[in-house]
Amino acid sequence: MKFSFKGGIHPLKEQHEGKIPSREQAIKEFVAEKVLIPMDMHIGAPSEPCVKKGDKVLLGQVIATPVGKFGIPVHASVSGEVTGVVSFQQLGKKPSMCVEITSDGRDEWVELNPLGEVEAAPRERIIQQVKDAGICGLGGACFPTHIKMSPADNQKVDIVILNGAECETFLTADYRLMLEEPEHIVDGLRAIMRAMNVQKGIIAIEDNKKEAIRSMEQAVQGREGIRVVTLKTKYPQGGEKQLIESVTKRQVPSGGLPGDIGVAVFNVGTAAAIADAVIYGKPLVSRITTVTGCVRAPSNLRLRIGTSFQDAIDAAGGFSEEPGKVFAGGSMTGIAIPDTGVSVIKANNGIVVLNQKDAIKKPETSCIRCGRCIDACPIKLSPQRLNVLVDQADLSGAKKQHVMDCIVCGSCSYVCPAKIELCAKFKEAKEKITARRI
Amino acid sequence: MNLRLSTGPHFVSRESTQTLMLDVIIALIPTTAAGIYLFGTKAAWVLAAAVIAAVACEYIFQKLAKRPVRVTDLSAVVTGLLVGLNMPAEVPLWLPAIGSAIAILLVKELFGGIGHNFLNPALLARGILLASWPARMSVYFMPVRLLGNTSAIPAGVDAVSSATPLIRPGGYEIYDLLLGNIPGTIGEVCKIAILIGFLYMLFVGTIKWHIPVLFVGTVALITWITGGDVLKAVLSGGLLFGAVFMATDYVTNPMLFTGQVIFAIGCGVIVAVVRMTKAYPEGVTFAILLMNILTPLIDRMTSRKVYGTVKQHA
Amino acid sequence: MHEKKHSLRGVFVNGILNENPIFRLVLGVCPTLASTTSATNGLGMGLAATFVLLGSNVVISLLRNIIPDKVRIPAFIVVISTFVTIIQMLIQAFVPALYDALGLFIPLIVVNCIILARAEAFAAKYSVLFSAADGLGMGLGFTGALILIGSIREMIGSGTIFGNALFGASFEPMLLVTMAPGGFIVFGLILGIINTVTERVSKRKGAQAS
Repeated sequence: MKFSFKGGIHPLKEQHEGKIPSREQAIKEFVAEKVLIPMDMHIGAPSEPCVKKGDKVLLGQVIATPVGKFGIPVHASVSGEVTGVVSFQQLGKKPSMCVEITSDGRDEWVELNPLGEVEAAPRERIIQQVKDAGICGLGGACFPTHIKMSPADNQKVDIVILNGAECETFLTADYRLMLEEPEHIVDGLRAIMRAMNVQKGIIAIEDNKKEAIRSMEQAVQGREGIRVVTLKTKYPQGGEKQLIESVTKRQVPSGGLPGDIGVAVFNVGTAAAIADAVIYGKPLVSRITTVTGCVRAPSNLRLRIGTSFQDAIDAAGGFSEEPGKVFAGGSMTGIAIPDTGVSVIKANNGIVVLNQKDAIKKPETSCIRCGRCIDACPIKLSPQRLNVLVDQADLSGAKKQHVMDCIVCGSCSYVCPAKIELCAKFKEAKEKITARRI
Repeated sequence: MNLRLSTGPHFVSRESTQTLMLDVIIALIPTTAAGIYLFGTKAAWVLAAAVIAAVACEYIFQKLAKRPVRVTDLSAVVTGLLVGLNMPAEVPLWLPAIGSAIAILLVKELFGGIGHNFLNPALLARGILLASWPARMSVYFMPVRLLGNTSAIPAGVDAVSSATPLIRPGGYEIYDLLLGNIPGTIGEVCKIAILIGFLYMLFVGTIKWHIPVLFVGTVALITWITGGDVLKAVLSGGLLFGAVFMATDYVTNPMLFTGQVIFAIGCGVIVAVVRMTKAYPEGVTFAILLMNILTPLIDRMTSRKVYGTVKQHA
Repeated sequence: MHEKKHSLRGVFVNGILNENPIFRLVLGVCPTLASTTSATNGLGMGLAATFVLLGSNVVISLLRNIIPDKVRIPAFIVVISTFVTIIQMLIQAFVPALYDALGLFIPLIVVNCIILARAEAFAAKYSVLFSAADGLGMGLGFTGALILIGSIREMIGSGTIFGNALFGASFEPMLLVTMAPGGFIVFGLILGIINTVTERVSKRKGAQAS
């Protein structure tokens, strides 16, 4: 049986969501010669660097310590010498403090502290291990995972869901991971379930990844409490709220968290990273990123954190024609980058290059009240009404119409025939409402 | 390397206002062709006058008012076509031209352009023309050529005006009602052509099924309850044309499904009541205009339960 | 008391242009729509209202220090209705065609917002000469507006002007324009044009000044 949710769209349906160039590419390792690791990759206060220029570091060595409740450590992703602790404009609003390391080519690991087999590890130690490994949500949000694994007292989690939907266009990183390292993912899920004392684990996968479903079903054979669930392919099925609604028929309360209804969701890549941390003691130093679009060799690369976008694109064969736009992530929620010197961070699941022609956008015209945005919205908002309110700068009216519940998925902007930038408007409105405490 | 920095989504649907309007125009081709075949070259001239006047008015107004010129989105062509199709074939060409001018200038542009009109432009123009030149707008002739194998008699050289099926119910065969061998406006007579257009728009996704079906269905139901001939009632007058092409105008009907259901049923009730009480021979124009006026109220009364606000079982 | 208005001429012209009762103050719209079905009717109504306006402004200004503030509105109405009764009898006697055309709207001049508004805002506060100038200006402004709207409606809706046929026999008038909805639409369009022109002129003046 296939699960699904109401609303949603099928972006780039004729081109199979743009996934064809990279689907069949097995994961390739790529070690950059130089990495520029930002301190603020996760949600929470930026970490404090604890190395300085000239220091020699080993692979996996802690180079920044956590700050505040949501802090996690940052680790060296290559072994070599720290060639600078600098401020650099990444994709945030302000420049980020970054540590630059030049590789010595040896890739020597620091001393690791594995906990061994999942069943052998004590519960509390698993969560501490996850924090020490600097793991945050690899699906895009980069929320500190150890905090998600420690819900508040009033939140009784009874289901853990692994997000294998990968609904975004162009991305195939999670797909390849599920094909090539299914056991790893299941180990990670078992570690999560043990640490959170949860008996039910579900791995949810969209039905356009049939081999991955088979692969994961094989890997969960004999594992008690864990099963694989098939989802209808629809965007944004991989959004946390939609995933939970499809799998459990429960809805995350407005303004609330999944923990409020007893659910915790983790990306399959995050689960694999947890397995690495618990079983092998390896901290988070790399992630799989789909590099595709106008590159000569679209690939799924295992990149070291801090690798520059240019190095990643070169590792995928370089530009196949003059680039018009490069964005990080899928085409629905990806962020366009100003130049290719920015770094691959923990949450970077895709690098997509567009040629000059595809980079051009059609101009905005008047809303014709066609209602396609209302049909598309997975949160059952009325983007048409919100558009009117935001245009009139009526932010309190927009808040009353639940603009804060918008998940900024971009479905409304995708379907709008008048090419109105609805999603961007709502994102800005939400930021203003939060900033001004309306 | 010059990289564009724009906000997402970076790929959007290929549908645009222009493609939507183009689909409506394509859906109107069978009706237009049938109308020209049935009523002759006069009808072609009426349609041409209406379309040209509509496009010209929009272009000139947008230039004068220093607004962006948007005639390429084809919405003026659609409005002009609908104005023309709502006319009898035997009208002087200044009449559809004035109708188009009223529809574009008064109903659309003065209120803010496309997307801002609160009444269906072609329909309000027709209403104003009906009140201003009642003699011209209510004179209908039999078509000059007939479709299919029928025993009806086409209009001759010395044709006199004829009663439309609504004025003379029971006087026309179902076969003729379907094919259009009856007096009426250029677009409303050939029901088969209208149905082909309806199916095309459903297929390409321009409109959804419920407004036309519920509109016509309500009229059929009330006719059946009051013991009338359902099939003849549904096939008479501008009901089918209005339900498929006028009541489905995006700008002037409610946004949500429940609102649209209320809208369609309301239209059907008004048409049925007007026909029963014989206050006017045709109630479709007024029904749709009245429900257009109620649309903002309907929108305010209908809403959906936003994700996360649904009461859950504990 | 006299700070706002400078001169008799200023007050007079004010009622015709800057504060035209129909197009700027938008008062007395009801009789406007009813009596502008033709230019003649508009002229007749306008002159009748001007007579009443002038008379009531003068009398109320003369009595302004005598009428107690608490009963001023009923007092104004008495004065106004006196003049309305006079003009009604005059029209009935000397222009019966106009009397039939305007019908109920002649006695309704009593409650014409313009007359009461000017009595309240002007005649009750200023001297007789100024009040007369205001009454005359407002009345003529009203009449001018009625003739403008009435002419347009008569030309388009009947094909005549002041009763004289304008176009040939082949002209088919737009009947809606002489009916109430057409009246609203024509009034609204004229108001829109006047507003646009005034705005553009004042923008140009403002640009020249700076």
